[in-house]
Amino acid sequence: MTGTVAPIPRATAAQAARRGLRRAATTLDPLATVAACVLLAMFAATILARLVGLGGSPTEIVGTRLAAPSLAFPLGTDSLGRSLVPRLLEGIGTTLLLSVIAVAITAVLASTAGIVAGYRGGRVNGTIMRVGDMLYAFPSIILAILVAAVVGPGQVAALASIVLVTVPLMTRLVAVSSRAVADRDFVAAAVISGVSTPRILVRHILRNVAGTIAVQGTYALSIAILVEGGLSFLGYGVQLPGSSLGLLIKEGTTYMVKAPWLIVAPGVVLVIAILCINVIGDSLRDRLEPRETRSLV
Amino acid sequence: MIENVLELDQVSTVFRSGWGRGRRELTAMDDITLSVPAGETLGLVGESGSGKTTTGSVALGLRRPTSGTVRFLGRPFDRRRGTAGQIQAVFQNPNWSLNPRLTVGASIAEPLSAAEGGSLSSHEDAVLTMLDEVGLHRSVAERHPHELSGGQRQRVAVARALITRPRFIVFDEAVSALDVSVQAQVLNLIKDLQAQNGFAALFISHDLGAVRYVSHRIAVMRLGEIVELAETERFYDAPEHDYSRRLLEGM
Amino acid sequence: MSAPNASAAQIVVENAVVDYVTPSRTVRALDGATLRIPAGQRVGVVGESGSGKSTLGLLLGRLLPSLATATGAVDVAGSPVLELTPAAIARLRRSELAFIAQDAVGSLNPTLRIGRQLSLAMRPAKPAPGELVAMLERVRIRDPERVLRLFPHEISGGMAQRIAIAMAMHRAPRILVADEPTAALDTQVRDEVTRLVFELAREAGSTVLWLSHDLIAVAKWCDRIVVMYGGRVVEDGVAAEVIARPRHPYTAALAASLPARLAPGERLPAITGSPLVLTGPAAGCAFAPRCPFAAEQCSTVRPEPVIRESRGILCHRIDEIPALVAAGATSGETS
Repeated sequence: MTGTVAPIPRATAAQAARRGLRRAATTLDPLATVAACVLLAMFAATILARLVGLGGSPTEIVGTRLAAPSLAFPLGTDSLGRSLVPRLLEGIGTTLLLSVIAVAITAVLASTAGIVAGYRGGRVNGTIMRVGDMLYAFPSIILAILVAAVVGPGQVAALASIVLVTVPLMTRLVAVSSRAVADRDFVAAAVISGVSTPRILVRHILRNVAGTIAVQGTYALSIAILVEGGLSFLGYGVQLPGSSLGLLIKEGTTYMVKAPWLIVAPGVVLVIAILCINVIGDSLRDRLEPRETRSLV
Repeated sequence: MIENVLELDQVSTVFRSGWGRGRRELTAMDDITLSVPAGETLGLVGESGSGKTTTGSVALGLRRPTSGTVRFLGRPFDRRRGTAGQIQAVFQNPNWSLNPRLTVGASIAEPLSAAEGGSLSSHEDAVLTMLDEVGLHRSVAERHPHELSGGQRQRVAVARALITRPRFIVFDEAVSALDVSVQAQVLNLIKDLQAQNGFAALFISHDLGAVRYVSHRIAVMRLGEIVELAETERFYDAPEHDYSRRLLEGM
Repeated sequence: MSAPNASAAQIVVENAVVDYVTPSRTVRALDGATLRIPAGQRVGVVGESGSGKSTLGLLLGRLLPSLATATGAVDVAGSPVLELTPAAIARLRRSELAFIAQDAVGSLNPTLRIGRQLSLAMRPAKPAPGELVAMLERVRIRDPERVLRLFPHEISGGMAQRIAIAMAMHRAPRILVADEPTAALDTQVRDEVTRLVFELAREAGSTVLWLSHDLIAVAKWCDRIVVMYGGRVVEDGVAAEVIARPRHPYTAALAASLPARLAPGERLPAITGSPLVLTGPAAGCAFAPRCPFAAEQCSTVRPEPVIRESRGILCHRIDEIPALVAAGATSGETS
């Protein structure tokens, strides 16, 4: 050693700028902020509906059948004379809850499989990838119907279908990111130091692919809502007297000509929810997975 | 008598790929015998594809050789048992050498917590001592790698490698990615720390200037074989092998 | 040589300033770089990361990324590069300039065989039979017929660089800009590729701008060396002389920190600190924070180039330094 102690590294321009970038990263971009607010509002409304009966009872028959939207029934009534507002709120709740739970399961399964596959590489990676490919090769809705045929129609079928549909892609992407992280020198340094494999997987790999998992989880959520919609629409998902966006749309199609509001309201909510989720996903992706940027100077 | 920290005895490593007729074999290490005594640096030079990187992985225990014996402190090498913390490495790319999600302090503490137990934050004193030793300010411990320059990151990588007071360190192109002016700082650091700590080192590089500066002896590899192994001064004054002479001309 | 007759200069860069502007920050890559190069000269531009040498190379062809803003005057073969219409700059690039990048494999299209890339590069002319083979033979590729059928990922870095050189030199460009073309190559291949570039450039009569951090290669191959630091030219003169007797403190420190030039047993004098990143114009001399000879004015007053021993030097204290050195002033490392 020279005996000199280097001074505190000066806050170079590069560092200041990087800090600026991170600050920018912690605040959502305006569009994503709006999207997040819309989603939060949806969640809040459905929770309020559960807790304090916002919008009235979803099962009570309150008016004439297929009444057009009015002050009393803002979205009209259905074929039994129930107000659509509480049914829609219940439907949003079911759909979102189901999707969130399914995606949480997906995230755990796909992260575990993806991280192990990416870190181990070789045969483990090959096997996991091939299984994923097989699942991925099925059209998602056919896969979902198969699941429903096995476990019987209902919420469990919807849940399992969403997981089976979303796991392969997420596993693959997590595995690819993990592979890239596993090749980095700090992982080799940890191996040489005798750090245990589970620790390496969590401390070094998981922490560095968490962004990918978050982004893919968001996209998986929009796929989940679509799959639930499709499955319930076909009658394999959520069953009456429950309510979900897919189920409401299915009911709406029956009276599409006489009472179009029955299909428009859940349809619009479905589209808005997916749109918001994808906007948030894009924003997260730009922030958490920036492409390898090279220094400009 | 000088104790050999690392010995490679007739070590060969063959890579096999493909099936049936397409099956190919590549001998990355062909009957390599070398030893590194304590306090000495062996420079390993050669072009890419010469097998020097494979030799580094075998010496680190990351790769099992096809044949031959690797001895560490006189005993046959068995990674994960008894060597934890005694062997360390510093790699080439300063951008990839540290986990971007960990603070510098946590990164430096990791080998110690693996060898002696305890959490990453429980070795603060040792971390601060290491930062002093590699000439970084103690406040660096709280920072993340992206806040440091390439030279500072490479110093951190050196600190992480030294915290367990290893007997043997592999420097794999450890200064190649640094700017010329920063390279000199890190090379001096490596020399000084070796004088203080007496570790044995394998310094792998294609930069003959840097190798000459830090190495006591130099081994030249080509196509998996060591074509020349000599004391540094002798090697630069009078290289014996044709290939060594060609390398030196390009210096 | 510094300050040659302006009319004889083929490349004129006058007070060039380049900023890379992103929403979060601005990085200044060139901070008033000035340079004149007569036709046919072989110039080694030396600098570390952040010195601005790559930006300078790109600027000559107006090849900067869209987030860059450039001011100053840039004249290449009589054309004001920064004022040209897109069509005119494209014509200039095609007729006068050729570039060789560091990452040769990356500069080739991975989906096309080598032969196809070469013929595309020759458009609109159609390659005559045997012409592609001749092109590869010129860059000393063995078995060219086989190589023409390969994809970029099937060839070595050295081979890819030769092919990039073949494409660049095919039109016999008046000016060749090579940005660290050998940095990713092995020592021995490096030497062969360097020799190849300079031989082909001599045959074609091209001016060479060799951007590099390798002082020794520059001393060996270039007539003139231009040392850059902090986006400005800090020393500019005959290559062999500058490297043998550097005058600017940065050049001196750089030359001294090369381990290859050290006598056995000697200690490397390292420069403290690391290369800086500018966000705007430097207040004084960009090297001042790392300079062992820095005085007060160095960090507050921007130095202007002065001529000493027919070299351009950017240093306030250039005339005092020999005395300071003789008086045993500090070397770089012990501060």
